[in-house]
Amino acid sequence: MPTVSVYVRSFGHLPELMGLSRSLITRHPMGRPLGAPGDGERQRAVIEAALALLESADQTIVEFAEPYRTGSRR
Amino acid sequence: MSDETEPAETIEDLRKSFWYGSRSNLSFKYLKDLSDAEFGDFVDELLTEVASMIDSGDPTGVIDAAYRWQIQAYTGHLGDPNDFPHRFDDVPINPLPKPLSECRVTLLSSSGHFVAGDDPKPFGVESMTQAEAEARIGEFLKEAPSLSSIPVDVDPAELRVRHGGYPTDAVRSDHQVGFPIGHLADLAADGVIGALNPTAFSFVGAASQVRLKRMVAPEWAEQLGNDGKTDVVFLVPL
Repeated sequence: MPTVSVYVRSFGHLPELMGLSRSLITRHPMGRPLGAPGDGERQRAVIEAALALLESADQTIVEFAEPYRTGSRR
Repeated sequence: MSDETEPAETIEDLRKSFWYGSRSNLSFKYLKDLSDAEFGDFVDELLTEVASMIDSGDPTGVIDAAYRWQIQAYTGHLGDPNDFPHRFDDVPINPLPKPLSECRVTLLSSSGHFVAGDDPKPFGVESMTQAEAEARIGEFLKEAPSLSSIPVDVDPAELRVRHGGYPTDAVRSDHQVGFPIGHLADLAADGVIGALNPTAFSFVGAASQVRLKRMVAPEWAEQLGNDGKTDVVFLVPL
């Protein structure tokens, strides 16, 4: 069954070691894989980027380029 | 006055106290894995950034320092990848059976969410607190996790989270940080995905990885493969 996963950078080494098929790595602190609390815009952008990997069979691990941002940084 | 017979706390003792010790702090438990020299650099860098923030009011440097050292702690001491116990060299790429806009997506997160009134009761304990889950992390790591089924249209006020392995503050204040049922429902409504499985799933990832891999994960995969509601699984490991 096709899967896609979202990992924070601290655990970004795991998808390769575990042979996961498609993973998006976010530059977010532990416990905040999709973004900061209340940052729905970032959370949705991460999800859409991850879902896009499902339509690509040749890229297994991709980094989400944007750094973490808090409410005060938006 | 301190007890003269009590041995002085070493830097190593201090580092390790953040790992489920006297100063347990899941946001900084990784300090255990730094060397004493690295720990010194971490404290130096963090204090410098805090001093800067006092004047600027900008927390960027503090957040970046904590983030960089988190990565250093988790990835800087990995050792030989051949020794990683859950290594797989095969990467199975299963192509989508149809366009994403027609696929049914199921959310599976290791966030530790459940619905009020449906407590998975770890070790038979109902309403276990977050603090108790942290204190009993060693027991969690020996047991197979249990899977909580959560309706995706659940009232967010009814969502609960408990997980002794990661800092839960962010998902506690906004579940979509790690359990994005609302965003996935919106994406289904917008036609980006075909549909969202009306049931999402969550479990405590701080569990026996051997039992997870050999016992429960195959059962879950079979369950999802046979439910008629899943073409794709969206995984959020915390």
